[in-house]
Amino acid sequence: MIAEILEAIIFPGVLFTIGMGFLFDWLDRKTSARMQGRIGPKITGPSGILQPLADFLKLLFKEEIIPSHADRIIFLFAPALYILAPLLSMMFIPIISPSPLAGFDFDLLAILFLLAYAAFVVAILSFSSASSFTTIATGRLVLQYVSYEIPFVLAIITAALYSKSLSVEGIVASQSGLWNIVIMPFAFVVYIIALMAELEKPPFDIPSAKTEIVAGWLTEFSGRALSFLKLTKEVSYVFGSALAVSLFLGGGLGPVIFGIPPSVLYFVYFMVKLLAVGFLVFVLKTSLARVKIAQATELFWKILTPVSLAQVAFVLFLIQGGLLIAP
Amino acid sequence: MIEDKPVRKEESAGLMKYSTETLVPFGPIHPALKEPEYFKLILEGERIIEVIPRIGYVHRGLEKAAESRPWVQNMYMFERTCGICSFVHSITYAQAVEGLTIYEVPRRAKFIRTIVAELERIHSHLLWVGLMGHWAGFETLFMWVWRDREVVLDLVEAISGNRVHKSMNAICGVRLDMPEGMEDRIVERMKFLVERANYYKEIVDTEETMLERTENIGKIDADLAERLCAVGPMARYVGLRQDVRLNDPYAAYDEVPFDMVTCKDGDVHALLKLRLDEMIVSANMVSYAVKHLPEGPIRVKIAPIIPAGEHSSRSEAPRGEIFYYVKSSGGRTPDRVKSRQPTMANLPTALELLKGQTIADVPVVLTAIDPCFGCMDRMSFMDTETNRQWTWSGEELRQYGINHYFPERAK
Repeated sequence: MIAEILEAIIFPGVLFTIGMGFLFDWLDRKTSARMQGRIGPKITGPSGILQPLADFLKLLFKEEIIPSHADRIIFLFAPALYILAPLLSMMFIPIISPSPLAGFDFDLLAILFLLAYAAFVVAILSFSSASSFTTIATGRLVLQYVSYEIPFVLAIITAALYSKSLSVEGIVASQSGLWNIVIMPFAFVVYIIALMAELEKPPFDIPSAKTEIVAGWLTEFSGRALSFLKLTKEVSYVFGSALAVSLFLGGGLGPVIFGIPPSVLYFVYFMVKLLAVGFLVFVLKTSLARVKIAQATELFWKILTPVSLAQVAFVLFLIQGGLLIAP
Repeated sequence: MIEDKPVRKEESAGLMKYSTETLVPFGPIHPALKEPEYFKLILEGERIIEVIPRIGYVHRGLEKAAESRPWVQNMYMFERTCGICSFVHSITYAQAVEGLTIYEVPRRAKFIRTIVAELERIHSHLLWVGLMGHWAGFETLFMWVWRDREVVLDLVEAISGNRVHKSMNAICGVRLDMPEGMEDRIVERMKFLVERANYYKEIVDTEETMLERTENIGKIDADLAERLCAVGPMARYVGLRQDVRLNDPYAAYDEVPFDMVTCKDGDVHALLKLRLDEMIVSANMVSYAVKHLPEGPIRVKIAPIIPAGEHSSRSEAPRGEIFYYVKSSGGRTPDRVKSRQPTMANLPTALELLKGQTIADVPVVLTAIDPCFGCMDRMSFMDTETNRQWTWSGEELRQYGINHYFPERAK
């Protein structure tokens, strides 16, 4: 019992996820800096690896200013509700062994619910601060959410359909022979693009476009709330990449090397794939300009939704036609 | 004496009539603006239906200050009008004053002025291209372009000793000669910049997200642009052939061969390419001028008293036409100096461009004119309802401030 609680709190649970969030933040800043001909963080810790943690702690101790028009209760407590979504979702991802911390038979549905919940909380948060910039940001946020959600869910469902399982554990286990990305490359591509929209990374940083609407829905937040919101963004980043690894890249599965305990190997494979997906997102984000909200909606509805539907049809055809025996 | 009558601009814009409209303040402090200026954007959803500018946040009273300073000192003060196109201001002022004297500027000084002014144009255009990337949410372009801008700044520093405010001009000549052995270095660096400019043109042409942000945005009729008195790149991008360097050559522009860059029915994308093309032209001009630099003196020493009379001068800054007017009564200080900056001339065009765009386009479109609000800010008193204009003395202005902020202390 105590071991399980420690697992949930420390490794591979909450603290590990938050630590990975900081690591992703650092990698993100370092990669984009190098691509842009800059140095990036370098003072706190070796190569500045502790900079995200330092930023987080510094923001924690800053004064918190609440706008007079804001809805105080939501404004103060919604950041805590928001961070729950990615932290809880991480519990369903198998990280150190084939069985996740809190997996059950239909945990993929829970993940889908938590994704919708996170978007809902952000919209409420944004609306509660009641300024012109956040009002516009809320409109953009909701429009972006309805744009990317359908292709995003379709891409996730494609993996579930092929693996005939609604739990992440089952989907990972079904990829022991062939990774899903080989069968459904387009679903993976759609997933990554929709993930960038979900994380508000360029080119989809429309709801927080700093040159247009200051900081978007983050404009009115400061101090503790801001530090937690920023942390949540990073943790969502980790979770989004971890879900991609589990659904399309075979989770922690990989060739067995004798002499190394399987759980260590599982963790190492998982981390390598996680960082690879993260790196893909960093590179894409650094090399693109921001699109407008109408253009983003057009991209998701006119191009990515048909593509992901075609991918679903292809997978159904494979299963029904029996051309390839589904695992 | 003083009427304190607030004008409700929102009312005149029809905001009170329609409840679907939102007023979004853009500025005075805003990440997209590097200098404080306030624009009231009236939106319907994401679309702009009206823009109300409110200028004057960085008014510095340079024209008035000029009246109490010696002729030479004014030149260095007017150089500080702008932190980007500084040298061209001092050229224009110096030319206006030189028009009042009987001396001719030496040929070598004219060439040196041309070289530094063109280097400044390259640096200003690079700065703008980088910022355009930043405003369109393309940070990488911003970082790369600004790194290349350092090349120009280093050259300018090697020539004049300063990066931004060159302080190189003198009335009837230049203060500093070109350093020895700079020729090869400048030519080689210019080659590098031409290479980079071609590369950026390729990026701007092929990068999909960048194209989506800039194509068909910020379009205007050539007729309308002419009526709104657009100057510089903002006139050339709709096809108006307007470039003071060619139309009314000054310094050594009649001796250095170059072509005017124009394009038809431009948008922001065309403007990006136009400025990069102009940069290439400027780089070639610098190479040419450095190779053909004539020998001779660099300045004529003149007395600190300028003969009575009035004279005007204009020149092509990176942002458009700059105009200076000076009036002398034969003393040690000017009677009047009037300067007009290109941002002021281009602002009506920018406001026209903004109408009908979405809020996502505001930074891109507003800054397409390469605004420099610090140069532009002027002040005048006007009642928008009765069109009455008036002037205030310093004491009246102070009294108005007291009345405005401390109504209880007003008489």
